[in-house]
Amino acid sequence: MFTNGSKYFIGLSGFSAVALVIYIFTVDGAVGGAVALTSIMIASGLLAGLALFNRDGDVQVGDASAPANAEPLGSSLWPLVSTLGIVGMGIGLITHEIVFLLGLVALSAGFVEWVIQGWSESASSDRTYNASVRGRLIHPLEFPVLAAVGAGALVLSFSRIMLAISKTTGAVTFIVVGSLVLAGGVLFATKPNLKKTLAVGLCAVGAVGIVAGGIAGASVGKRDQLVKANEEDHFAHKECGEEKSEHFDFNAEGKVSMRSNPIATVEFTDGKLQARELGLDTYTNRITVQKSNDISIIFRNKTEGEHRLTLFYGEKEVQDGVVEELHNCTQMIEKGEEQLLTFRIDRPSFASEKPYKFYVPGVEGQSIEVVVP
Amino acid sequence: MSTSVRRLVTGAAGLSAVAFLAGCAKNAPQDTWQPKGPNAQKIDDLQKPVFAIAGIVGVIVFAAVAYAVFRFKDRGQPIPEQTHGKPVLEIGMTILPALILAGIGVFTFQTVFDLAKTDDTEMVINVTGQQWWWEYDYPAQEQYGITDPIITSGQLVIPTGTKVLLRETSRDVIHSYWIPALNGKRDAVPGRVHYLRLEADEPGIYAGQCTEFCGLSHAVMRMEAVALDKEDFAAWVKGQLSLAESPAEGTLAKEGEAVFLNQCVRCHQVNGLKKADGSPAIAAPEENVWSGVAPNLTHLMSRNTFAGASWDLLTKACRSDVWNASSEEFGKKYLTGVSEECLNQTDLRRWLRNAPAMKPMYADPTKLGPTDGKYRGMPNLGLTEDDIDKLVAYLATLK
Repeated sequence: MFTNGSKYFIGLSGFSAVALVIYIFTVDGAVGGAVALTSIMIASGLLAGLALFNRDGDVQVGDASAPANAEPLGSSLWPLVSTLGIVGMGIGLITHEIVFLLGLVALSAGFVEWVIQGWSESASSDRTYNASVRGRLIHPLEFPVLAAVGAGALVLSFSRIMLAISKTTGAVTFIVVGSLVLAGGVLFATKPNLKKTLAVGLCAVGAVGIVAGGIAGASVGKRDQLVKANEEDHFAHKECGEEKSEHFDFNAEGKVSMRSNPIATVEFTDGKLQARELGLDTYTNRITVQKSNDISIIFRNKTEGEHRLTLFYGEKEVQDGVVEELHNCTQMIEKGEEQLLTFRIDRPSFASEKPYKFYVPGVEGQSIEVVVP
Repeated sequence: MSTSVRRLVTGAAGLSAVAFLAGCAKNAPQDTWQPKGPNAQKIDDLQKPVFAIAGIVGVIVFAAVAYAVFRFKDRGQPIPEQTHGKPVLEIGMTILPALILAGIGVFTFQTVFDLAKTDDTEMVINVTGQQWWWEYDYPAQEQYGITDPIITSGQLVIPTGTKVLLRETSRDVIHSYWIPALNGKRDAVPGRVHYLRLEADEPGIYAGQCTEFCGLSHAVMRMEAVALDKEDFAAWVKGQLSLAESPAEGTLAKEGEAVFLNQCVRCHQVNGLKKADGSPAIAAPEENVWSGVAPNLTHLMSRNTFAGASWDLLTKACRSDVWNASSEEFGKKYLTGVSEECLNQTDLRRWLRNAPAMKPMYADPTKLGPTDGKYRGMPNLGLTEDDIDKLVAYLATLK
């Protein structure tokens, strides 16, 4: 009554249902896992129904007229992969979460592949036919997963390379790699008669090169500036006064965010700070911004040297009796550069004893009042 | 024509006439066919010829179809000679619509660019949408006497004959600002600033409506633009720049001030309001409201509406008196604000008694999980009738 294929999917669906019940009672408040298990249960149930409906694609199993397994079965790697997965999970429990997850992935992949291979090899006495049956079932899963893994490995490797080399070398490398890819594309587009094996070979060499470079880059580690910037905690805490950090994100201009509709432009021109609100065609030393809203302004440095714009927007009690001034700021930028500053002020300016203002650290007597009505 | 067909045609004609005449309603403040400013006039100048052309084309098509239906009705005649296409006719029928559309396109683009013009702006106002009301703040603009920023809500007040640029944004979801008599609609999007130009020819009130579905009370997220002549606008500005004064000791309003300080100031700011110790009372809507703001009530009684311009602060008769005032008298009547005898106490009391019952809002304190315990809208504060009496007396002083 039940075909081999339907038995497999019914089993998977039942297993998911049991796992779902256990999950619901043991994991508190986590919805994601329950959704995943429910999805597997429903999907495998549907596949079981399909397998039953079409009788496994009318595959004749155990056809009496054909010699059973006339050809010897091929060897299978999947038991080994599954075993490695179990071992990896065990090691991961002791060492690191990522090892456990990799083991789990290997075990899951090995199990699924093993089951599908076992089922397909008993589909008929014809090995070629069995292979095609297996392909029909598993290729739609295998190909996207392998492609994603391959692309992920390349991206990860490339990022390791770029983090390890200096900024200048990185720019050169990016240009060279991009040019090579473009040249390869032009070559194959203009010479369609080139051998397929040549294209495959070149791609394989390129991929291996990138992965090898990535492994080398990962073993060398990130370049010194990034490590020090991290130690200076520059990513988490902005330095809004005089620049003390050695390795800050120099001249980060944020060109893309420049298009995010700033409401004003603040210019530092020859030592003088002035602002212009959009729609008002005059310079002012006071701008009005909405309360509790993300506001963007552009800062342009038109004065010699590196300067940043800093916003003071009140004080906040961080502990009992401990009050901290609230600041936000751009990065240091050279003359002729510009940068976007996005901020949000939750208290009206009249709630502060000191007026809210934009100022340039180290420059006395120049500020733009920020009014929050 | 048989009797049944005659009845059908008569019925259809009657229904069409009713639908057609419904568009002629006099009391239709959001009628897009009644422009009251140059921007809306530009749209009107475009849409009328387009509708006319579309109407003519529609009539021709319907007439041709009707002719074909009746002329070639199956009466048992032999099937006429069948031909395969008429290239001249087909090419002509392709080129003609293309030319019509191209012509319309030229004028449409011209109008779009005209409406997007901002370089001759005379005044800017920040317009911020949130569920479900609009906040207006006026940056300091000395030439209009706005020496300090002004903040208000519900009614946007502008001077007549002035090119006003609205800088629109939103604090929560996408809304859309639309005063049909003054211009087209423009979305207010969180994190972005969109521009909309308004200009009114004559003093008056121009009604509008949020036109982007924005949640439970989208249907009652209304707005009104009030145009005042320049002199009256200056008077309005002067009034808005003043601080609220505390009511006299021993009055019901003074007791209402205490209730306000106890309940309302958690979200609503009244500039000039002081706590018992003499320090300024600062509202903290950012701690209680999802959007981070609640309407500033300093000059509540200078407006004609409340709760997102959805309910009138004026009684029906007083409201009608202001709406129907002549251009010459309108400013004076509007600037009178809400007098004691004109105050619509019924709706104001209902609002204070249980706001979510009037305007659906996410204000059930047991269901604030998704918003970190913050309200979207005004909750039912559980005020006693005594408190409501006092609050109404206090609010009436906020001129």
